[in-house]
Amino acid sequence: MHSRRIQKLGLFLLLCATAVPLFSCQPRKWHGDRRLIILGIDGMDPQLLKQFMAEGKMPNFSTLAHKGSFRLLTTSIPPQSPVAWSNLITGMNAGGHGIFDFIHRDPHTLQPYFSASRVEPPKHGIHLGNWVIPLGGGRAEQLRQGKSFWETLDDYGVPNLIFRMPSNFPPVQAKGHALSGMGTPDLRGSYGTFSFYTDDPMTAAGVVEGGQIIPVEVKESQVAAKLIGPDNTFRKGSPPALEPFTVSIDPLESVAKFTVQDEKFVLREGEWSDWVHIQFQLVPFVGNVKGICRFYLKQAHPRFELYVSPINIDPADPALPISTPKSYSRELAEEVGEFYTQGISEDTKARSAGVLDDKEYLQQSRTVLAEHRQIFDIEFPKFHSGLFFFYFSSLDLNSHMLWRLIDPQHPEYDASLAAEYGTALPEFYQQIDQVLGEVLQRVDDHTTVLVLSDHGFAPYNRSFNLNTWLLNHGYITLKTEPSPDQSQVFANVDWSRTRAYGLGLNGLYLNLRGRERDGIVEPGAQADALLEQIKAELLSVSDPQNNLAAITRVDRASEVYQGPYSQQGPDLIVGYNRGYRAGWQTILGNFPADVFEDNSNPWSGDHCMDYTLVPGVLLSNRAIAVPNPALTDIAPTIFAEFGIPKPGSMMGHSVF
Amino acid sequence: MSSQKIKIEGELLEKAKKCAEVSGYASVDEFVLHTIEKEIKRLSPDQGRTSESKEKVTKRLQGLGYIE
Repeated sequence: MHSRRIQKLGLFLLLCATAVPLFSCQPRKWHGDRRLIILGIDGMDPQLLKQFMAEGKMPNFSTLAHKGSFRLLTTSIPPQSPVAWSNLITGMNAGGHGIFDFIHRDPHTLQPYFSASRVEPPKHGIHLGNWVIPLGGGRAEQLRQGKSFWETLDDYGVPNLIFRMPSNFPPVQAKGHALSGMGTPDLRGSYGTFSFYTDDPMTAAGVVEGGQIIPVEVKESQVAAKLIGPDNTFRKGSPPALEPFTVSIDPLESVAKFTVQDEKFVLREGEWSDWVHIQFQLVPFVGNVKGICRFYLKQAHPRFELYVSPINIDPADPALPISTPKSYSRELAEEVGEFYTQGISEDTKARSAGVLDDKEYLQQSRTVLAEHRQIFDIEFPKFHSGLFFFYFSSLDLNSHMLWRLIDPQHPEYDASLAAEYGTALPEFYQQIDQVLGEVLQRVDDHTTVLVLSDHGFAPYNRSFNLNTWLLNHGYITLKTEPSPDQSQVFANVDWSRTRAYGLGLNGLYLNLRGRERDGIVEPGAQADALLEQIKAELLSVSDPQNNLAAITRVDRASEVYQGPYSQQGPDLIVGYNRGYRAGWQTILGNFPADVFEDNSNPWSGDHCMDYTLVPGVLLSNRAIAVPNPALTDIAPTIFAEFGIPKPGSMMGHSVF
Repeated sequence: MSSQKIKIEGELLEKAKKCAEVSGYASVDEFVLHTIEKEIKRLSPDQGRTSESKEKVTKRLQGLGYIE
């Protein structure tokens, strides 16, 4: 009887020990001195890295590769940042975390939305008896599924800092310090909307790509204008909240004095302001939200031209949750000053719209990296044990924008601009090398360093308009008469005669009965045959300009995704050849006239293609045993470093 | 077309008057009707799903960089 009790007790203890990773019923206290440092470098490309290392521009990367390991890192399907970082965060692919593309769609309405987070209209407010008057900045919801690796680290008491991890807005509730990254909106709820004020009658007023052109009048050297804030749902029609500011232009010198609420400052032409605080009053004396923005006086004379950055959430008093603990963003702001909180801080749209030129865009982009390095320099010395994860966006956004300056084959290559700014991208790489140098100085026997990127990069020379191709091949049918209501996506599509459609950067969906509102394709054999037919036809598409294959890989979701959300993404993932990408208009369901177009946008590099063509990088001070590591191996590697059993849901293995 | 009268009085009425005034409504009636319309729209799943225009969705997503 006694021995049976001991047996039962032993069995119970064994069960409890193995159950910890699943149920966290008895979180362990971690007492180790192990340190793991991860630099997450969005978009660091292995080919460019090798080239810059060979040119002697990356001495610290060369040291790390020579003394430790350098591998290609298999990226996600498709190789888009929200998908890729979610693979890393959860150790699962898109079937497990539910992020399949930058853009998802509601199958019922086909309304597109950003896949990783959603800011909803306010659901709380002032109560007047039984009435609720909407108030405030709305509610933020993270859409990624699956447990983040740092939540598990918390379970085991491993200290951790997670700086600007993509697909983590609002940040998951965790014990460590975390600041949200890609996916964090500006104060207007968009992913970045700049303003440009000008009295130039030749500049068309109104909405432009990623921003707004606002006409102003210069009267006796004075400009009175308004900053545009969040929609004020308290007011009739929910107009945007506006706050006035004034500019006094020196009639002789190229200088102007700005008055924005309580702040006054002077800018010379070509000068950027520091962060300016702005408070939008939604309900007088009751509700307001705080933001920050930067002013750039592009021109004082003869025309007035003023760029104002998207209004960022103020980290010192955030209108939406951007950090854990909530006080962390405020503490950082107290230490380093205000900083960009918007997820994608580099204002690529202002450059694409021609509001900023290359020089001005680079100034803005370098400021973003300078802020990140400043925070790194504050946080890294405080790190003593556990995990330190720090994310840098600069290589990704600048590879997108500056590829045309390093690649003479790009249609937008300009030799004179290349001579002037062609060194900018390598210089951003060198700044990351300097950060790695700071890290390597602190490496000891208890420290593991991982430097990784989510994907590589490639030129984006030509657009492929998937929806136009589907239309031309009879998979989409348009209504005989255009819809009178053009306000919705796919407004002119006749869904009763449409079998497939494209949405997002790599997604192709069937118009499936029982899933799409007006689905006509029967699930099962009919859907399978149709998918195989479209896949074969897409793989045979060649660009009439050069006879190159535009698409080198098409994956069926059912073959590449595992997990509970496998059915919620696209049915086919279209993998474009190097040099190609989904066209700008097709992504949100439009039908440009031509299937192929030259890409004339300054956004000239990309990675949303065949995932085998754009692997990321993985470097470590330790020997990487796995020949072909993948992003899904990173979370298991982190757990192995701290002696934490790998949860069964994770598909990868430690790389060591 | 059916109609329904609702009586609002006392403190609630005073607050509604104040809110209508600071929010730019022409009358308390207009304010109350608009508030009800908004709440109905928000609470109806189908209405809520289709309320955003293509232009608004596009504008919000453009900042991601991948959309013109």
